Amino acid sequence: MLIAIALVSSFWFLLDVLGVATQRAPAFRVADFENRFATFPKTDPHTLYGYVSDNPPNDPSALAEFHLTQYVLAPAIVTPSANQDLVVMNYHSKQLDYKVLRASRLNLIRDFGNGVALGRPLNRR
Amino acid sequence: MILLCLAGIWLAGFGLMRWMFPQPLRWSLHNILLFSLAIGAGAGFASCIYFLALLLAGPSLAVLASATGAFVLIAVLAGFLGPGQGPAFEVADGPQVPRYLVVVFAAAAALALVMFLGAVAYNPHGDEAAWSIFDLRARFLFRAGAAWRIAFSHDLAWSHLDYPLLVPSLVALCWKLAGGESTAAPVAIAFLFGLGTMGVSIATLAILRGKLQALLGGTLLLGTASFVALAASLYADVPLSFYIVSALALICLQDRYPENGRFSVLAGLMAGFAAWARNEGLIFVAVLLIARAFALARSPRRAAIFPELRRLVVGAVAPLAVVLAFKTRVAPPSEYFSVPASVLLHHLADIGRWVTLIEGLVIALFTFGRFLIPIALVLALYAYLVRFRPESLGRDSRDRASLVTIAAALSLTLGVQLLIDLLYDANLPLEIGTSGERIIMQLWPAAVLAFFAAANSPQLENLKPAARKAKARAQAGKTPASKTQTAKAPGR
Repeated sequence: MLIAIALVSSFWFLLDVLGVATQRAPAFRVADFENRFATFPKTDPHTLYGYVSDNPPNDPSALAEFHLTQYVLAPAIVTPSANQDLVVMNYHSKQLDYKVLRASRLNLIRDFGNGVALGRPLNRR
Repeated sequence: MILLCLAGIWLAGFGLMRWMFPQPLRWSLHNILLFSLAIGAGAGFASCIYFLALLLAGPSLAVLASATGAFVLIAVLAGFLGPGQGPAFEVADGPQVPRYLVVVFAAAAALALVMFLGAVAYNPHGDEAAWSIFDLRARFLFRAGAAWRIAFSHDLAWSHLDYPLLVPSLVALCWKLAGGESTAAPVAIAFLFGLGTMGVSIATLAILRGKLQALLGGTLLLGTASFVALAASLYADVPLSFYIVSALALICLQDRYPENGRFSVLAGLMAGFAAWARNEGLIFVAVLLIARAFALARSPRRAAIFPELRRLVVGAVAPLAVVLAFKTRVAPPSEYFSVPASVLLHHLADIGRWVTLIEGLVIALFTFGRFLIPIALVLALYAYLVRFRPESLGRDSRDRASLVTIAAALSLTLGVQLLIDLLYDANLPLEIGTSGERIIMQLWPAAVLAFFAAANSPQLENLKPAARKAKARAQAGKTPASKTQTAKAPGR
């Protein structure tokens, strides 16, 4: 009985794994996120980036996407604020929404496409 | 190249194990146990060498390659050229193993392998808490070059900067020697530690109790879907569980071979590496010493307490020195130190938190492992049917001290971890809900080892008429227990 339960349970879990794997991939897995940053310049450990996104404040994926951004841009440091010389923008619309830029008081430096852009605070050169 | 690097580390570990317990090279239980232990020994040493080389000489590839190469060479030479004779680990006498059980065991192994490969193929970076802590640290160590200390910048405080570096160092070492990043490194490391955990548990059960108990315990472990999923999530919990079960398995073997003190030294080394794998490992080191002293004090081997504790400490001292160097020279102070005593007292006196904790623990005990039926209930029924062996629990039994050590070490480790959660975690329900099962999984392989080492073997095959007569004769003549395990076991 013991081994039957162990075996059936693991088979059940295997079906679970296969079920998830055969469904459509979620929007932002690590590899997808890395592809979005493919054209982003190579980072170095002495750079400190700010970070803004158009995620709603209570969006559970907001924190995960911030962590993904840090993971992709390592060894640069990414801080969750717009108060840095360079600010990474993570957006989800097809084109960069300038409302997000204005709301964060940022100037656009470059839009890399794929939902990634780099900005600078209006009060800094 | 990454797989070649890991193969070299594994071989070095095997060399060290073979140096300690030499036996001829052939397919044997002895060498299966050594190969399993070698995974953790090689990985632990290689990870420590990487960290020390980085700390003392910076990210120089020449220094790192020389140090790692020297380690592999010395370990392999010691293992394969070193003289000496040691104990030979053989399969213990036990009941006949029915063929279907071997088939079921093989099916469980195949399912576990498919589950692991399926999970890592779908998610090669592992779960968020794995890549955002362990792999992120490995990326910083590998990518930042001379500025590697930026990995411990306070801007990254959310990624638990005081977590020890066994896994990140090992991943960064593989990347450095291979000359590039690949998810193959963390995935292969996770696989090897999972394999090693199974190997150590199953081989130790075979040595202590024979093939039947080993296959039963192994099938249960391989069928623990959560454990396989945890390995595929690429957390450091499976490496930690490897070191915990290895240390406790070696304690069991120490009691079987009391004249050979090397088991205790190696158990101490494994416990030390547990502290280098996760902070919970530090708790385990302290608890192991207490549990062993307690168990020996209650056994006829009372005089062995201090020599054995000394050997455990000697084994643990090198990895603990690396942990100390990391904690004092690299990592920022633990977040726990910033919690005021008044908050701790408030948490301790809060009845609601105790209720939450106990409630969470009970739920975790009944749901862990993703079994279709709560495995705690199934094991309780199983224990009722087969009963525990009086000869393993009797006061003069040779296994009693090691079983008491395992029971005390696992209970205390769990208790201390829960107490820390109670005292420090601001969001206790969330913490218990998310990490309760993970904590139990760290201890699960050692618990399975202890359970099947103590339980009677079930009677799985119908006895033939001649065997039935022999059984009747044995019962009438009160043949020694070890010869009549099959007959004595109440069976199904």
